[in-house]
Amino acid sequence: MSRASIVVEDLYVRFRPYIERKPTLRRSLGRQRTHEEVVALDHVSFAVNRGEAFGVIGKNGAGKSTLLRCVAGTLRPNGGKAVVHGKTSTLLQLGVGFIPELTGRRNIYLGGLAAGMRKHDIEERFDEIVEYAELEDAIDRPMKTYSSGMFSRLAFSVAMNLDPEVLLLDEILAVGDASFQEKSMQAMRNLLDRAGTILFVSHSLGSVEEFCDRAIWLDRGVVAAEGTASNVVDQYRKSVTQQRP
Amino acid sequence: MTQTTTPTYYTRRIVYYVKELWRRREFIWFLAMGNFKARNASTALGLFWWVLNPVLLSLVYWFVFGLIFPGNRDIIYLMSGMFVFHFTAQSLTGGANAILQNSKLLTNLKFPRLILPMANLIEALVGFTVSLGVLLVFSLVLRGFIPGASVLLLLAAVPLHVLFNLGLASMAARLAVPFRDINNFMPYFTRIWLYLSPIIWPLSFLESENASSFARFAEFNPMFSLISVYRAALIPLAEDGVVIGPTPFDPAMLGQFAVWAVVVGFVGIGLFVRFEGKIARHL
Repeated sequence: MSRASIVVEDLYVRFRPYIERKPTLRRSLGRQRTHEEVVALDHVSFAVNRGEAFGVIGKNGAGKSTLLRCVAGTLRPNGGKAVVHGKTSTLLQLGVGFIPELTGRRNIYLGGLAAGMRKHDIEERFDEIVEYAELEDAIDRPMKTYSSGMFSRLAFSVAMNLDPEVLLLDEILAVGDASFQEKSMQAMRNLLDRAGTILFVSHSLGSVEEFCDRAIWLDRGVVAAEGTASNVVDQYRKSVTQQRP
Repeated sequence: MTQTTTPTYYTRRIVYYVKELWRRREFIWFLAMGNFKARNASTALGLFWWVLNPVLLSLVYWFVFGLIFPGNRDIIYLMSGMFVFHFTAQSLTGGANAILQNSKLLTNLKFPRLILPMANLIEALVGFTVSLGVLLVFSLVLRGFIPGASVLLLLAAVPLHVLFNLGLASMAARLAVPFRDINNFMPYFTRIWLYLSPIIWPLSFLESENASSFARFAEFNPMFSLISVYRAALIPLAEDGVVIGPTPFDPAMLGQFAVWAVVVGFVGIGLFVRFEGKIARHL
């Protein structure tokens, strides 16, 4: 097996969202709806090695989430390919697969099963998940009564207990209190020590700089810079300050 | 474990798809039961609504078409048809919604998308099973009838019914994801289908003078053959509340519905699976 754990090659994604224009008589009579092509990812290529934390930074709408979705396999690109070696866990949004009316206990099962775990694996790890999320007292309460911190702790705990080799992470470490943030950072470092891989999308330049080995900067779907995390973050910072003299 | 995402999709491999569905069977079950519990979590009667819903529905129609406009006073006949129809209608409307309401799951996790309409179908199937029990109780209390070996017909009817419903739900989901208008149209479609099926009108209506040219085609309605198989399995033939005997079974009806189930089932599932790679683009 090669050292690369995520390979993205020439990835190209375009959307054709429906554009709303002021309806004129001619347009409403015509049968064609107005579409405008938006290129979300324009021939993006990079590779992430095993044991590496790789950051993706860029402005809103730069294509970061689209990129993660392609790597996660939930969005089919228009061209190119994304290859992932190893068991993947995604944390693109918090609480995916959870039903708020149900208890934390049932949601641990639902979330784990949704992510591809088997029921007996979840049973084995159940106590660990609860303990890690610091939810011992609240686990039999409906999740809609949870605070957002409790909610995200449970989601994170389920995702980390999947034993992923590759973790796809989107901007969620900003939730939870300081001590839990520290705990989640520690869990991710452990993953890296076990030769796991993390693809990390964030607006928080500080955490990318601190946590990631390498990074890319996406600008309107194009790779504007690639290299060591601190280098890429520096370039990105410069461009942002240049725009705001 | 290596996963490659390219413009062409893995679902072309049928065996892999079916294996993946099987591997995820616990998820399907938990999702079905979870949705069901969530739906009932904030009502006082909770699970009891499963029994109450189909019974109330039947009583409403019995009140209107049995008492106000007398056409069919046999409530057992009406209930049997209504429960069978209700299961299909639920799968149909729920299947289309299953994709749209679970967009968060779909954009985040990779799994065979057919799981969502399947979970919805299983939720409806559990309700349907309960309602068949209710039907037996009503038919015992009101008619003193207990079905014999004919209940074994359910072994053929229920699986075919499930296949048929899954096909319909898949077709609805396939259409409703790019064209949301389908969802608005659905209540009218199910309503007209209900009136075209032998539920509120008695079978004798087809031979009466009032029957329009529609009567000639009534039998081709899949609901017609399906309901007649269920009736042969479960309920007595009665005239003015007096039991004449078990409902006679017509094997041609079972055969006819089997054809419907296989065609609708596989065409629907096939259309859906071919489309599922594009779902993420429509959410």
